[in-house]
Amino acid sequence: MENPAITRPPRHHAILFGCLLLTVLVIAAEALRWRAAHRTAASATAVPSMTTTSPGRVTLTELSNAHIPAPRGMPSAHASTLAVLPGNRMLAFWWAGSRESGPDVKVFASTWANGSWSAPSMVASRESLGAELGFGVRRIGNPVAWTDRAGRIHLYVVATGLGGWAAARIAHLVSLDQGKHFHVRRILPTSPLFNTSALVRTAPLSLSDGGWWLPVYFEIGNKYPMLMAFDADGNPTSLARIGNSTSTLQPALVAVSKHEVRAVMRDDSEQQLVQHAASVDGGATWQDLPALDLPNYSTSVAAIRLTSGQFLMLHNHVEGGASARSILRLSISNDMRTWRTVADIAKGPAGDEFSYPSMQQVGNELHITYTWQRQAIAHHRYRIQPEGTS
Amino acid sequence: MILPALASQIVYGRVGWAIVAATVVCTLWRSAVPMSRATLAAIVAGALAVMALPGNLSPAWYLGLAFQYPSGLLVGCCLLRLTQRWNGSRRSQAMPQMLAGVLALAGLLLYLDALGVLTRGYYYAGFGGAVAPLVAIVLAVACALAIILQHSRGHAAALLGAVVLFSVLRLPTGNLWDALLDPLLFGWAIVALLAGARRRAGRRTSGCVAANDGEPVPGAALQPLAAEHFSSLKEQVGGQ
Repeated sequence: MENPAITRPPRHHAILFGCLLLTVLVIAAEALRWRAAHRTAASATAVPSMTTTSPGRVTLTELSNAHIPAPRGMPSAHASTLAVLPGNRMLAFWWAGSRESGPDVKVFASTWANGSWSAPSMVASRESLGAELGFGVRRIGNPVAWTDRAGRIHLYVVATGLGGWAAARIAHLVSLDQGKHFHVRRILPTSPLFNTSALVRTAPLSLSDGGWWLPVYFEIGNKYPMLMAFDADGNPTSLARIGNSTSTLQPALVAVSKHEVRAVMRDDSEQQLVQHAASVDGGATWQDLPALDLPNYSTSVAAIRLTSGQFLMLHNHVEGGASARSILRLSISNDMRTWRTVADIAKGPAGDEFSYPSMQQVGNELHITYTWQRQAIAHHRYRIQPEGTS
Repeated sequence: MILPALASQIVYGRVGWAIVAATVVCTLWRSAVPMSRATLAAIVAGALAVMALPGNLSPAWYLGLAFQYPSGLLVGCCLLRLTQRWNGSRRSQAMPQMLAGVLALAGLLLYLDALGVLTRGYYYAGFGGAVAPLVAIVLAVACALAIILQHSRGHAAALLGAVVLFSVLRLPTGNLWDALLDPLLFGWAIVALLAGARRRAGRRTSGCVAANDGEPVPGAALQPLAAEHFSSLKEQVGGQ
């Protein structure tokens, strides 16, 4: 029979020591992180970046329109996004393949420099992502790109798990050589449900500390918008939901002031209007606002604030016999509430598709890209001039 | 919000899925021939070896595709089950009703919030700079005390392991709730609760049937044998 007086104390001491060691380890690890985080927080408080350099009204004059060169043997193209490079250059990213969700869908990039686009190059495929992640990726979807202050390109790509878009995750890739090569940094954690059903579509918003907000959305059953904040090094710092709606997605974020931010969103409800939310405390909390008086038959929108201070939005308009995506309209606003039509960027008979727009101001030019008939990525270029000048 | 390095996530995923897979194999083994320690060791070693295969040759490739990473607590509960099996226990004690109830309730709230039914932001709080670390510290202290006081030692050790992985390496995702819960563990908790409810209902039914039949309730303590025995002893004493 076991004699507890002889055998138990050494084992008991070992367990006691082990428990103490692990507890101290947990406390020490958390305390060190807390100290480091508070040092950083004390030195910088991120608010949306404002770059209004020439306030006033502007006029837009079209300079050119063309298609970005398509990769060979890829008849389907969709979901373009733009990232600005130094020297008034740009990078466009989009996905192309035999069809949406096809196994051959890959993300391609093309560089805009000296007035023309380079030949497309492949930057991400399900094979390349799987090899770096250590687990499989079933489908490739929307890309979103951002250039940080150090010149690194951050590319966020929708990469699904087992299932359709509802099983989507977001892969974060980084390029240190202006888009020539990308490596996977991680899959962004966005949901406790096997980390699925988070997607990206719209462009990030710059913050004063060099960081940015990445618009994200959830879409299993209910659809709701979120934003993930990043610091200047591209490390996520927080994740939050935008408003309480369960039928809005693909938020396009625009800074109205240092503390006021608006989100215009795709509508998945029967209201079929561009949806609208606002934060007046630097993105800490959000309120749903009444929808804008602009139709939205579940299509993506893009919005930016020009350096003049005015706001531009690209959205699919519906009138007459038009279908949900057959008119792509550019509208302008001084207050994000009342919008005036600038031009119909693309217009066709019902059934045509001009959708998923993106835009960037580069110097005094406005660059717009969008999906042209699901076959190519179109690019329009406008000169931005103060009103009254020619 | 501090996230783990991708390299550590890959290693964790392979080891974690190997432990989960070995536990599943051992659970399925239950009704077959008795399992020796050598067999158990071979199953665990085999699972680790298969998960370490490169690319899509590894089951971890497909498990990651579907489920990404197991929670630290799921891996801990599986390790506990394997340890129990190693020590000769064939009946599962890795998911007691109390733990199952807590996990089911927490999972219900977390998943309803994630699905947009609630708008509390519970998942986001798992990344928080103050709440998540404080909860991790409280859990670590509570688990250490439970282990020292020999109260649910195995489960406390599993939970402590998950908290240590989270606090030191931020595994598996950087979110505290992902360290403590995942949909597979939630499913295990629900199944354990249903099985427990079924057992209790079965016991109640058999108790009612026995009462209706007018038969004595089984169980040595309730049988009148001891009274009779005591009575006969008195008689014997009285007779002397």
